[in-house]
Amino acid sequence: MRQLRIALRLVLMQIRSQMEYRGAFWIDRIAQIITYSSSLAVIWLLVDRFTELAGWRWPDLLLLYSFHVLGYATGAAISFTQMRDLEERVRLGTFDSLLTKPISPWLYIVFSGFNIGYAGHILLGIALMVWALWIAPVDWSLLTIAYFIASLLSAAMVTAAFLTMIGLTALIWVRSNHLYSIFFGFWELTRYPLDIFPVGIQGVMLTIVPLAFTSSVPVAVVLGKQVPLLGDWAPALALLAGPFFVLLAVLCWREAVNRYQGAGG
Amino acid sequence: MSAYLAFAQSGFLTQLAYRNEVWANLFGKLVQVFARVAIWTAIYGGAGVIGGVSLEEMVTYALLGGAVTGAARYETVVGGIGHALRTGDVAVWLLKPVHFPLYVIASEVGRALYRFTFLVVPTVIFVALFYGMLPPASFFHGAMFVAYWVLALAIFFLIAALFGLVAFWLLTSFSLEWLMQALLNLLAGQLIPFWFFPEPLGAIARQLPFAWIVYYPSAVWLGRLSPEECLAQFGIGLGWAAALAFGVWLLWRRASGRVVVQGG
Amino acid sequence: MVEVIEVRSVSKTYQQPKRFPGVLGALKSLVTPEYTEVKAVADVSFGIRKGEAVGYLGPNGAGKSTMIKMMTGILVPTSGSVSVLGCTPHERRMEIARRIGVVFGQRSQLWWDLPVADSFELHRRIYDIPAARYADNLRRFAELLELEPFLDRAVRQLSLGQRMRAEIVMALLHDPQILFLDEPTIGLDVVAKDAVRRFLAEVNRERGITIILTTHDLQDIETICPRLIMVDHARLVFDGELGRLRSALGSARRLTLEFTTDPGPLPLTTAVLTADDGLLKHYRIERDDVSLVDVLTEVGPGREIKDIALEEPNIEEVIRTFYQRRNTAVPA
Repeated sequence: MRQLRIALRLVLMQIRSQMEYRGAFWIDRIAQIITYSSSLAVIWLLVDRFTELAGWRWPDLLLLYSFHVLGYATGAAISFTQMRDLEERVRLGTFDSLLTKPISPWLYIVFSGFNIGYAGHILLGIALMVWALWIAPVDWSLLTIAYFIASLLSAAMVTAAFLTMIGLTALIWVRSNHLYSIFFGFWELTRYPLDIFPVGIQGVMLTIVPLAFTSSVPVAVVLGKQVPLLGDWAPALALLAGPFFVLLAVLCWREAVNRYQGAGG
Repeated sequence: MSAYLAFAQSGFLTQLAYRNEVWANLFGKLVQVFARVAIWTAIYGGAGVIGGVSLEEMVTYALLGGAVTGAARYETVVGGIGHALRTGDVAVWLLKPVHFPLYVIASEVGRALYRFTFLVVPTVIFVALFYGMLPPASFFHGAMFVAYWVLALAIFFLIAALFGLVAFWLLTSFSLEWLMQALLNLLAGQLIPFWFFPEPLGAIARQLPFAWIVYYPSAVWLGRLSPEECLAQFGIGLGWAAALAFGVWLLWRRASGRVVVQGG
Repeated sequence: MVEVIEVRSVSKTYQQPKRFPGVLGALKSLVTPEYTEVKAVADVSFGIRKGEAVGYLGPNGAGKSTMIKMMTGILVPTSGSVSVLGCTPHERRMEIARRIGVVFGQRSQLWWDLPVADSFELHRRIYDIPAARYADNLRRFAELLELEPFLDRAVRQLSLGQRMRAEIVMALLHDPQILFLDEPTIGLDVVAKDAVRRFLAEVNRERGITIILTTHDLQDIETICPRLIMVDHARLVFDGELGRLRSALGSARRLTLEFTTDPGPLPLTTAVLTADDGLLKHYRIERDDVSLVDVLTEVGPGREIKDIALEEPNIEEVIRTFYQRRNTAVPA
């Protein structure tokens, strides 16, 4: 309870800090919406010319894209910038200061850096999702709705867990940011159906870089499509991936904080 | 001139100093190139030729697509110039016999050459071993590709510098970095060549400077431009580069003038 | 008196990747990374009693920060044991954290874009400080360090001195038993330095808070800390009072004599001539048992002296002498 109240307070302080620069804040959001729209436009250009991509048509791809944006933004809001900046915190020693406070350093870092900048992604994601759900061929029932929401949460959890595990390597190796270039390499692929990639990449995206669970696996399930490699296990695994990787991230975080050596000197 | 060479060299060397970054970048690049090829293979399905373009040509186009954008990064140029202007750090540079935007570009060119040598070329060769890659259409086209590549790098960085300067008035370089990405996504021809664009979108895209970053160099390699067209488009590209350079020079004068007047 | 900190034969070793110069070197570290062991702290022992104020001193890279980090639970010693308030810091980090205050001079813990008061309020929540005690502490400390005028200003608008004052007050709001300060006066102007020093000395005296501070500025030690711990090349080289260090070294006093007429070169046995400006002669008195009278006797009558200035050694000189002697005696 106390932790929760502090977390809420940190988030409010962070929002107030960001609002000190609200002009730039909204310009930045608009720029992000434009950029995400341009990536979607590329997909539109593809299906406009070739009608489908491995059996996925425009409504399917639109749903996939909106799911990818929403799931990612929700997870990244509580992980990406915070964990990317962990490297800097270690280098400057502000992580050291955190360790002298009677509070979990994870809680402090994540909520004091809670990124409301993802508001742009979320607005766009919701708008696209409403559009997609309007035109996508899904048989909606209470069960599919529940499954859809749960898998979206699971997607956010996988994203946050994975981004956190990348960032925490800074506690051991001091530098971690280059690993994000691997993440974003794979992350871009999650705008497309998993089917189109070579088996090797599919395997990687279902295991060590589990980003397939943040978009194409759950969306394929909802659309009633086959998921390569997973087959009938896909619906269950899409839901379990979130909790599993969060647990893994928690264990890794503990281990990293214990092994933390500081930046030296 | 030798000062700028030194900046480029030190940009190159600092990249070499970080072991983990090299491997991570190489791996990330590899994934991207594989993905681009995978998308085209999926689209072609069993079809050998679509709209007069073979799958082999499209795989080659996808591999070449990263030759400039895979090596050059705009973030440091847009962010670096924007930041230096807003914080007033640029005042220090005004005292030196160095043109600040050129300095930023030079050190970034060094890094781009590094990435080209150690990231782009190895990944292209690696992926080409799996999927195959067409050689340049002729010796002339191959030679022109090299020239186009240098021009592409110049246009890329001049646009980035222009965006960085605009950041000074907009008070945020973050949004300009994102806009640069949006324009590259669509208008450079990075993923989809303009011959697959619906008209008149394709025709318009061919006229904009972004087209010289990915579309024209790759199209030249594939021999989709006749020798006369190659030369003509190169001339137009040079014109764009000159116009952009003039824009950078003009905005830089106004921006740095403002910094001096305001006292940083 | 109780020992609040006990450090027993503590060592800390870091592993650092080797870097080689040039293109070939960079390629080499790319393929076969090598590591060097850096010993930051080597076999250091000391105890600190409740209510003491101790200056932890040493040149850059001597392992000062590392020691502070081990005492505050940030780092785990490679060997040896650290005990703070009866616990091992890194094992009971949260518990220790509530009972100590930490100020890192160059790393602000304040929220850059928000008023100082917001950071304080957050601190109150994190440390669960009862409202009445918080208000009381804030009022008293804020008054002593004159924080009121800027409590409602955003931190980014404050001067470095104002920020450091706020930083120190924040570290004291939860009534810590021990206050650790890493370079608290670095970068401050003379007035701010003085305010911080007087405040820390007073907090130590009035509230009995144990203070451990690292510093480059010896004035800090002279004002705040009766006790001095000196480290060099990771080892403890001195632990005791500043006065004891001074007398143990018998640091040289400086004597300046001004004559009415130039007596020419004037070597003495009681003092060493260091500079000769004709009428003005500078001497160093190296032995403690030599008095001013002894020197003047040796100069003898017949030479008219216009002015005499005798300077006691200042702390910087004491410490410089100390390190110089060590380095010549024990080659590193």
